[in-house]
Formats: sequence, C-alpha cells, structure tokens
Amino acid sequence: MDHLLHFDLSALGIGYGTILLFALLIALLLTGIPLAFVTLLVALIFALGWFGPMAVPLITSRVYSFVSSFVFVSVPMFVMMAALLDRSGIARDLFEAMKLVGGRMRGAVAVQTIFVSVILAAMSGIIGGEIVLLGLLALPQMIRQGYDRKLAIGVICAGGSLGTMVPPSIVLIIYGLTANVSIGDLFTSAFIPGFMLAAFYVLYVIIRVKLNPELAPVPEPDDRPWSEKLKLLKGIVLPVLVIGFVLGSIYGGIASVTEASALGVAGVMLSTLIRGELTLSMLKGAALQTLGTCGMIVWIGIGASALVGVFNLMGGIDFVSGLLMGVSDTPIVVILTMMAILFFLGMFLDWVGIALLTMPIFVPIVKDLGYDPVWFGVVFAMNMQVSFLSPPFGPAAFYLKSVAPKDISLGEIFRSLLPFICIQIVAVGLLVAFPAITGH
Amino acid sequence: QTHKYKFQSSDPAGNPNFILQQDWAKDLAKRTDNQIQIEMMPVGSVVEHNETLDAAGAGIIDGIVTDISYFAGKDPAFSLLGNPVGAWSSPDQLLDFMNNGGGQKVANDLFEPYGVHYVGSTTTGLEALVSKVPLDGVADLKGLKIRAPEGLVQDVFAAAGAAPVNLPGSEVYTALDKGVIDAADYTVFSTNQAQGLNDIAPNPVYPGFHSMPLVGVAMNKKEWDSLSPELQKAFEDSVKSFATTEVNDLAAADKKAVAEAEAGGKIHIHDWSAEERAKFRRIATPQWKKVAEKSQNAQQVYDVLTTYLKQNNLL
Amino acid sequence: MTEPHSDPDMPATATEATPERREHGAIAETGLLGRAIDAVGVIFALGIIASALILLNEVVLRYGFDSPTIWAHETTIFLCAMAFVYGGLYCVVRNSHIRVVLIYDMVTGRAKRILDAVISLICLFAAAFFAWAAYGMVMKAVFRPGGEIHFETSGSAWDPPFPAWLKIFLFTVLCLMVVQFIIMAVNYLRGAFKGDAQ
Ligand code: NA
Ligand code: NA
Repeated sequence: MDHLLHFDLSALGIGYGTILLFALLIALLLTGIPLAFVTLLVALIFALGWFGPMAVPLITSRVYSFVSSFVFVSVPMFVMMAALLDRSGIARDLFEAMKLVGGRMRGAVAVQTIFVSVILAAMSGIIGGEIVLLGLLALPQMIRQGYDRKLAIGVICAGGSLGTMVPPSIVLIIYGLTANVSIGDLFTSAFIPGFMLAAFYVLYVIIRVKLNPELAPVPEPDDRPWSEKLKLLKGIVLPVLVIGFVLGSIYGGIASVTEASALGVAGVMLSTLIRGELTLSMLKGAALQTLGTCGMIVWIGIGASALVGVFNLMGGIDFVSGLLMGVSDTPIVVILTMMAILFFLGMFLDWVGIALLTMPIFVPIVKDLGYDPVWFGVVFAMNMQVSFLSPPFGPAAFYLKSVAPKDISLGEIFRSLLPFICIQIVAVGLLVAFPAITGH
Repeated sequence: QTHKYKFQSSDPAGNPNFILQQDWAKDLAKRTDNQIQIEMMPVGSVVEHNETLDAAGAGIIDGIVTDISYFAGKDPAFSLLGNPVGAWSSPDQLLDFMNNGGGQKVANDLFEPYGVHYVGSTTTGLEALVSKVPLDGVADLKGLKIRAPEGLVQDVFAAAGAAPVNLPGSEVYTALDKGVIDAADYTVFSTNQAQGLNDIAPNPVYPGFHSMPLVGVAMNKKEWDSLSPELQKAFEDSVKSFATTEVNDLAAADKKAVAEAEAGGKIHIHDWSAEERAKFRRIATPQWKKVAEKSQNAQQVYDVLTTYLKQNNLL
Repeated sequence: MTEPHSDPDMPATATEATPERREHGAIAETGLLGRAIDAVGVIFALGIIASALILLNEVVLRYGFDSPTIWAHETTIFLCAMAFVYGGLYCVVRNSHIRVVLIYDMVTGRAKRILDAVISLICLFAAAFFAWAAYGMVMKAVFRPGGEIHFETSGSAWDPPFPAWLKIFLFTVLCLMVVQFIIMAVNYLRGAFKGDAQ
C-alpha cells in the first residue's frame, strides 16, 4: 500500500516540482472541481507523492489551526451584518438615501461605495466579510440603477480588499512580527498609500463615466417632495449610527478590532428591531446564509493554507531564495524581481502563504541593500492588494461570486477586475519609485 | 554521511531569536564537518506553533526549537517546566537546573513518549513586561487588564489580582494601542522596543519579574537514535554554547535598547524593588502546586524543581 | 429534480429586494443524509449568533465593569471554528462551493452526470485521506502517549478541552463528507445511466 501511493514526486526536484504544482492547480481548476477541493487535492497529491502518507497529517493539522484562529472570527460577523442588512429594508433605504446625497452626479453611487469601503477598511484588519457585505448590498443596487456591471463588480472587489491596506491591517501586523519592525510605524506609513489607492479608484470611476456616460446613468431628477426625501434620509440614520458606534468602539479603546465586528452585528440587529423588521425566521435565514458563505470562504483559505505547508516542507523557501540569488547587483533590479515573484505567487497563493514563504528571504536582503524595511512592508501590503484580485486564484473574486447573482460568472468578475489590477500595479510602482509616499 | 534536517522555530523569521537559531544551525554544521545540516524554518511554516510536537513525533518535521509552554494543553507539565513563574531570577539558574540539576532528564521523560528526544535547553532570558500604566509593585497589578499567553503565567497574574485577557500575539499591538488591554506579557525588552510596543505602552517593567521561558531544542527520536554518539555529543555541545550566546546577545541587545529608550525620554522604565519581586514570587509559587496536581508528569516536574530550588537556597 | 426550491421562511421584503437570489436546500443527489446535514446546519448558524452575543457581553463586562471573563474569546473561537468546519460540509450538500465552470458548463446531459460523479469520487479520495489523517490527530488529542485518556486542552488559565473537541468534530465532519460523496457519486451515476437522461 505504501509503495503504491508513493509515486515519488520528489525525484523531480523542487524546480520542476513547483512547475508541476502550479500546472496541476490550473488543470484541476478547469475540470470544475470545487475550488476548495482543488487546493486541498493538490496539497494531498504532493504530500503523498513527495513524502508519503506519513506527511498527510500536516494538512489536517493546518486545517485545524486555520479554523481556530481568532482573526477569522470577524469574517462571520461582517457576513452576518450583511445578511441582516440585506434581509431588512435598511440596505435599500441606505442606497436610496445615498442617491439623494449624490444628487445628479454621474457615477455617484460607485464613488460612494468606495467611500463606504474605506470606512469598512478602517473597521477591519482582514478581507472577506467586507466584499460579501458590499456584494450583497451595493452590487444589486448599482445594477438596479443601471450601472455597468463590470464597473460595479470592480469597485466592490477592489474597494472591499482595502481592509489590509488601510490600518488596522493583519497583513502589516504579520509583516511587523516577521521583519521585527514597529507595527505602529507600518500603520502610519500605510495610511497615505491606502488612501492614495482608494483615490485612484475614485478617479478611475470618474474618468470612465465621463468618457463613456453609458456606464453610469445620471439618476432621474427626483421630484418627490422634501418631506418624503427627509423620510428616506431617516433610513440612513440607524446604519450610520452603527458604523459610528463600531468605529468609536475601536478608536475609543472599548473593543478590539475583532470584538468591534461583533458589536456591529448587535448594532444592526438592534436597528432592525427598532424598524420592526426583526423576526425569528429572518434571523434564522441570515444566520444560515452566514454559515454557508463562511463555509465557502474559509474552505478556500483552508486549501491554500494546506498547500503552503506542503510547499514549505518541499523546500519552497530555499527555492524562492535561489531564484533571487545572483539576479543582479543593482538594488532596484533585485526589488523589481521581488515584485515579480510576489505578483506570480499572488496569482496562486493567499497572502498568509506568500508572507510565510517570501518574508524570511526578502526582509534580510531588503535590509542589506539599505532599504527601509517599513517602506518594504507597505510595498508588500500593496502587492497583496493585487493578489486578492489576480486570477486564477483571486480571493476577492471568489468572495463576491459567493453572493453575486447566479448569472455573474467568475470569468466576468475577473475581466472586470483587470483595470483595477492595473491601477494597483501602478500604485506599487509609485511606492517603489517614490518611497517618500510612505514618509520614508 | 550527511544528515539534513528541517527544524521549525516558534519565532518569526526576522525576530532576533530566529536569527540566533539560524546561527546555531551554522555552528552545528561547522562542528560536525557538515555532517548535520539543519534548515531552520520560521513559526507556522509547516504546522502551527502548538502542533509541532506531534509533527516532530510523526517525522513530518525533524525537530523543533520552541518555547515548550506551547504544549501545555497536552500536559500541564510542559507549562510548569516551560515557565515556572517566580522560580528563576537569572538565565544561569534556569540553565544550571536544566543541564546539571535534573531538568534535562525530566524534560526528556516528558518528550520521549511523544516520539521526540529532548536535546537541550536555551532561554531568551528575563522578559520585560509591556505596560501603558506605571507599575511599581504587586499592588499595582490589581484589576490590570493584561494579555498573557496560555499556561501558568495567566494563573499567576490572576492570583495577583490582575484580569488576564486571552489574546493571540497578532492582536497584542492593536489591543494595547487602543487601550483594550493595559499591559502584555510579550517578550524581551529589545524586541518589544523594535516592534514599537514600548512606544504605545511607555511604562515597561525591566528587568521583568514574570516570565523566563524555557526554549527547548528537540528532535524526532528515531532520527536522534540513528546519530553516532560523537554526533550526538557535538549536537548537545552546540546547544549549550547556543544557550550562552543567546542569553548574552539578547541581554546586550536589551541593554542597548534600554539606553536608547532612556535617551529618547519618552519611555519610562520601571524597575521593581527586591521586596516587590519577592512578594510576586510568594504569590507565584503556590500556583505551581495547583498545576502539579493536574497530572503525574506535572507532579514529577514539581518535585524535581522544588528539590533543586531548596538545595540551592532559591526557595 | 435539481431545481432549487425556495425557502418558505424567506421574508417577503428580502425576496422583493433581491429577486434574483433564491434560497435553496440540499441538492437531490445528496439524498437523505444531505437533507439531514442541511437541516442540522441551523445549530451551527446559531453558534455564530451566540459568538456575537458573547463578544458583546465581554466588551460590556470589561469596559463597563472592569471584569473581563476568561472564557469569552476561547468560546467564540471554538463556536466559529465549528461553524467554519461544518460550513464546508453544508456547502457540499447545497452544491454551493465555488468552481470554475469554463469547461464544466459546456458539458451537458449524461456526460455532465458522469463528470459530476467523477468529481465526487475525486473529492471522496481526498476526504477519505484527510479523515484517516484526522483519525490519527484525534487519537493524539484524546489519549496520552501511555494510553491514558486525556482530552487535549487549550492550556490557558481556563483550560477547556476545546482542541480535542474540535479535532473530534473535524474528524466527524470529514467522515460525513466521505459518506456524502459516496452517495452523490452513486446518485450521479444512477442518473447518468437511467433511461431518461439525454
Ligand atoms: Na483595515
Ligand atoms: Na490572486
């Protein structure tokens, strides 16, 4: 039995092994096997083939550790908020009110969605929940108002990914622990680049709708009497209070970032209660939707985490470091090579895996070359923004797909993300060319 | 014949502890003419930090360099041996106990049933306590919201009247920054300082009084047994010299960081009086007994530990 | 048969707000087990609501009364971890795990059923291996090396046996997945070779 299962992939060597691993990922992905099982399966094949059956427990161990980490507690909280808002009339009222505030500006709702995503990013350290939230709330509303679907999808995925760029950010915290630099400095330095990226998204939307007015229709002049408009505006009072309450609890030192997300759920529940919309069946429906959505989101992460454990054991760290070795004596070429490696890995792995794999190699080199490791941390976080969107493994696209209307395909989502990926790459380039943006 | 091993550390890659561990691996290769080559892998690279004992026992990874308290959930004995709060006032005492006072045997008896051989001991030295509020004695601990890791450290702080909060290391920074917690058991002064913790919590207690973790080097028993006696000896010697280097290097780094912090003028370092330190130890030592009652192994650790302390007039 | 049916519990307002999204239960091919798994989901969904309330309680106790609990965070992590693990199984029976449908959707009729069966068998292969590996993990979490029973705890001051429970739960869910994929493979194949499949 042991011999049968041990087809000894390790004879390939790490170089060809890596190529086979990525090729297998794409091949299995195309067969239509659910994504979570694709990554788990590739991890299993390589655990078996490279090391034999005794290595398989490393995968279940990683699954266990992955599901029991504290930071993920905020994901179901955001999804729960989304499910409750979606099931109550709050979401609709919110967007009706936003339409009023936006007036007759073309693309106003898309721009407002980006603003909302920046606020959500300041409330959360990871991504997942925010994209689900925006996907459930903003996407149907933008489509209903006649927005171009691709533009709407791109705004939601790109905006919803800002959570790890705008402080607090778990990517920056893990980088700080790995590189032994001040997390406070990282947060301060990421602030402006995070807003810069959000501003690029806004600019992009404004320019696109200016060039092609069909992408975002101007709302019909609203001739409802002011008394009715005021009634609409009342609809946003509660959600705005909830957001203020959550942000206040974080910045006022009342709750940790993860706890604050639970306060958000309580706040939204209270809002629906006040509006007379809270029923047991609605609560049950929202909770079940949260279970399903989180099952999907987390199992995608489980597979990626397992795969990284196996790849590290195969000698992935040595392999990547070998790729960098002797590339060039010119510091900037070394940095650009790092960017290329991060970009490539970002196509396949999630950020935790990329951090585990590359940080031990990159940080000492960056320091040796005389660059500021804090600056590099911000560049790393910006690179991870790209990884959230880039195909074939783009978590943001998967999260949105999980809640988007059935007729929106993954292919359409990824096509919608291309311009935003380009914007992100420009932002990475700017950070590399002008480190002063980070204050360093 | 060369032996190539993968060891996983309980420290992240750029952390000074990890860099010292990489240097140790180089030293071991030199001592054995490259017959033993160890690749140090950072925390979490293959399995999570509290799953490494099983992984090393199963031969998935070959060895570990880890704070042994992380295995407290498997047996409370790991917690008592890993961080007997209040027992040691200097790294030398801890290392003497482990190397010459019966600690090595107790540790190996604890590890071997898991299929792992306990090779030797190191430590980071006394940790510094990170605090936002001034702490000058045991009385100040009352009601203090303090983050503490699993194990005895939490019990002791609770016994001292503090309110220990369970938070993962990755949440410590934001929780301190936003005032969710007042203080945190984290690591040595220089690393706390480098990661910016002292900037947001400017009242560190240094030297600390609460924690000196035992960082053990252990490896898969089958692989250990297959090494020649000469190689085993070289391995053990390298760990002993690694312990000395680590303690000295980190102490020097701490001194330098303390000087810089004091010159900066924004950080106020608190040093507890001998009397307050003794008071804290009197609170801590009864907690050992409670842990000892939880398992046979823990009782064994307790007996050997207290015997040593009594013989050396440390209790 | 596979047509998703709408959830009778859905409130009218939600249906009105997003007519294109409809709730559906377990797909037909998952059989009785699938329906049971779908129905039991509500327990773990309630766990998520409980987590939110526990954290709210914790914030109130800590901020308002300076007396944080020692159990809130660990309980929350445990409840959410259970929901995450179960959620994976829940998505299997509802066929809502995300897949790339570029080629998958081009296949129709009998070939599609066969493809579905093959995918179920491949997933079965993976799940079976993981169940086997999880079994070893459970043994280590439940017994001391000497054979004495000791449920692995978290090691905190509170020290609950959550790690052992979670590992047992993960093993159970993986076993259920194995059985579920067998049932699905059989039903897909049955569908493929029944006269009515085009
Ligand atoms: Na954030
Ligand atoms: Na990607």
